[in-house]
Amino acid sequence: MTGWQNIKANLRVIFMAFEIEFRQSFTDAFVLFGIIVQPMIVAFMALWMLKDQVAHYAIFVVVGSAMTGLWTTLLFQGGNSITGERWTGTLEPLTCTPAPLRAVVSGKLLASISQSLLSIVFCYTFISLMMGLPLSIAKPWLFAGSIVLTVVAFIAFGLIIGSLFIINPDVQRFQNGLEFVVYIFSGFLFPIALLPMWTTPFSYILTPYWAARALHAASSGTGSNGEIYFCWAMLILFSVIYAVISKFLFRVILRKAREDATLNMQ
Amino acid sequence: MEKIKLNIKIFFEGAYLSYVGLFRWLRPSTYLATLVFSPLTQMLFFVLIGTFAQGNDKAYFYVIGNALMNAAMSGIYGVTMSIGGDRWDGTLPYLFGAPANRMTVFLGRAFMHILNGMIGVLVGLMWGWLLFHIDYSATNPWALLLTILVTTFSTAGLGLLMGCIGLITRNVMFVNNTVYFVLLVFSGANLELATLPTWMQIVSNYLPLTRGIASARLIIAGHGLTEVIPLLLEEFGIGLFFAFLGYSLFCWFEITAKKRGTLEVF
Repeated sequence: MTGWQNIKANLRVIFMAFEIEFRQSFTDAFVLFGIIVQPMIVAFMALWMLKDQVAHYAIFVVVGSAMTGLWTTLLFQGGNSITGERWTGTLEPLTCTPAPLRAVVSGKLLASISQSLLSIVFCYTFISLMMGLPLSIAKPWLFAGSIVLTVVAFIAFGLIIGSLFIINPDVQRFQNGLEFVVYIFSGFLFPIALLPMWTTPFSYILTPYWAARALHAASSGTGSNGEIYFCWAMLILFSVIYAVISKFLFRVILRKAREDATLNMQ
Repeated sequence: MEKIKLNIKIFFEGAYLSYVGLFRWLRPSTYLATLVFSPLTQMLFFVLIGTFAQGNDKAYFYVIGNALMNAAMSGIYGVTMSIGGDRWDGTLPYLFGAPANRMTVFLGRAFMHILNGMIGVLVGLMWGWLLFHIDYSATNPWALLLTILVTTFSTAGLGLLMGCIGLITRNVMFVNNTVYFVLLVFSGANLELATLPTWMQIVSNYLPLTRGIASARLIIAGHGLTEVIPLLLEEFGIGLFFAFLGYSLFCWFEITAKKRGTLEVF
């Protein structure tokens, strides 16, 4: 198969996995909770708590709350993207098909993250219509660009989370706690300057941090274009790093499947 | 007398076995992740938003509110999973086939989670002392313990009702998560109730936790037990009401499921 045919085949796998995952998870009440209910409740609380305390607080809360929806969906849907196959007994057959496992998981992650983008729409609608607060995006084109890069970066992050959960189930036990850890370290609803200095490097290696920074800056207009471009560069850099790491992790998964034959065991 | 002794035995055996059954997969890391790490991260998130908005002097407000939310975590999720677990694990027909007193079996499901919830609240308050230097010097420890006990009981009452809903719906986690987040808003854990719209204040009056949190804040501020007794009596009454509603639903479910042969229909 030539390089171009290979890319076409992989894109087809990604699209098929995307379609199946999209259809399946839209009927999952847990997913709907993560996309709709939780971000709106977080938005309501944050609005009430930050009222009149932060400049452009309404749009700041919309973006921050929507980011919580994006991350929660990525953590639970993306984190379980491979483990879910184990639960349904399809993981071993999946690893034996000629289609690359990473392409399948990427398609599933794309579906989850695309769905979770709805949380931005719901938070925006909730705050502007129901709470009666005026909302406007200061730099719409830069905001749109930040969204695209956020999706790419989240897919790369999801590949790492999903593979880590399958390689070491002990990591998954901390899944619930990791939800708020990333809310905190990524500065979704407050600046990371509130945290002790030693935590800053952890924030810097998280793509949700750069995504939140770019989206906040583009929506509120509080950051310069240069700052937003810098966040984009960091998003791209860490997406590449995550993709390289995930390639290694997926190799470990496939080796375990073939050598240990324990892939389907909980 | 024999009957009373038998019911007490069933209560404690049922409480212990349902707890062991729920955590049969339990390892210390799982327990720590679920009941220490996860509540800590949630507390940190809300305390940091709160202090970002209102300054460090207000940290006590969010620490106490979120520490008490740990009661809801055990009371709602733990109790619901203990009751609903019988359906998922296929033990419901045996339970309903046994001649054991239903009230004893039903209430026994909450017992261990009340203890668990109390430990969770104390751990939360300890985190507040360690991380935010909350001053407990004026606190009457026995009054605080009683408050925690009553609050945990009332949330477990709500958990018993949610558990019964878990017997008739597949989306119990959606319902649980929504109820938990609604409590976060309406209980006053993170928002000053007096600042909320009137209709929200009315709703919060009928929910568990509201008075428990208010009572804990008063006790930690140095008020005596006699001043919070009315609040605690109301909190206890609300817990009893929800437990009674749950028990009624449990009995109705048993009769209906036996009549229709739908004990394990999903």
